[in-house]
Amino acid sequence: MKRAAWYLIAGTVAGFAGVLGLHGRAAPPVLVAGPKSTGGGASPAATPGAGGGARASGPVQPTGPARQVNGVVEQYGYGELSVTVTVRGSQITNVSVPLLRTAEPYSQQLAVQVLPMLKSEVLRAGSARIYAVTGATYTSQAYADSIQSALDKLHIK
Amino acid sequence: MTGPASLPAQPPGPAGPPPVTHAEPAMGTVFSFAVVTGAAPESAVRAAIAGACDVLHRCDALFSTWDEASPVSRFRRGEATVSQMPPEFHEVLEECRAARRASGGWFDPWAMPGGFDPTGLVKGWATERALALLRDAGVPGALINGGGDVAAFGSPAGAQRWRVGIRHPWRADALAGIVETDAAVATSGCYERGAHLIDPRTGQPASRAASATVTGPSLALADALATGVAVGGDEALPAVAGLAGYAAYLIRPDGTETDTGIEFAR
Repeated sequence: MKRAAWYLIAGTVAGFAGVLGLHGRAAPPVLVAGPKSTGGGASPAATPGAGGGARASGPVQPTGPARQVNGVVEQYGYGELSVTVTVRGSQITNVSVPLLRTAEPYSQQLAVQVLPMLKSEVLRAGSARIYAVTGATYTSQAYADSIQSALDKLHIK
Repeated sequence: MTGPASLPAQPPGPAGPPPVTHAEPAMGTVFSFAVVTGAAPESAVRAAIAGACDVLHRCDALFSTWDEASPVSRFRRGEATVSQMPPEFHEVLEECRAARRASGGWFDPWAMPGGFDPTGLVKGWATERALALLRDAGVPGALINGGGDVAAFGSPAGAQRWRVGIRHPWRADALAGIVETDAAVATSGCYERGAHLIDPRTGQPASRAASATVTGPSLALADALATGVAVGGDEALPAVAGLAGYAAYLIRPDGTETDTGIEFAR
């Protein structure tokens, strides 16, 4: 289960980098926000215990002790990002971003707007009882960072 | 966009064990399996999955256009005639003819540069062949995701059908929609591997869609139709709309969307 969380972290970081990639390249990163500025699960989507099971046969309510998996700090081209995933049983109950360093205030603004959306979507994908993700054919390398890869790990018996 | 908080709580019911899963690299991508065991012993399910993987690797060896020694490559170079090709090739040839007709010509393996190229159909076709082995094993349900193209039958324990997310073309971790299926869902687009789609009318690379998804009974045909809609965009939709049991969902390059009556799940 720990590995599943790590795959979702990778997917989140990849998506985040893609969104921030919409604007021009940035100077070397400087610290703009403290570690607590974007964490804390303020988004309704991040409410612990919300949503269905990660699989159809899973329980309605999360079971077992909550475990947190802290992601490593990722360099994503426009700054640095770390993600924490909280897992109960096989269900992801929260995704937070404890660390966000961006190169410029504009990147920071953009990140603050975008992160809740990304969080809700990661949660949605993780808890909406999805068994597969259809999409343009991915390479074996791209698979490793895909939601499908995370699902394969989550559903492992 | 509603978060998981708004998802209906799952009704308590006879939920069985989670499906047996497996991920198999083949055809330059990864095939993901989810198999409901039902009354079958897990060893039998694992054996069926291994057999299904053998099918995929055999299809890969026959139809790889990357492998210069494959039968399809030899055929493309004119070094082998149709009569010298293995039986699977004849099946694919027939599927390609049917798909060209059904797509209104937007899917046309004979109009590809370098000669006959069934790549836009073969992966879906191979996935279906692999799935047939799982069906024969007597399990109540199974799903194979062939690198983004999904074939399934039955349902996971405690649900009516399999829920399949449609990847958002610009966000790898976001979904553009969710569909429920007990058959086929295929998606085509250029966001993963660049401009590889060819317009059969010009022979040039062309894409009039950010993402094209087709649902229907057969994954071989759905795969080919998704390729056709990704190339033809809006112009290719009437062909899909005219096919019983098939529906298309198109996200255009400008981000706007349309569909031919595809059913989205919530």
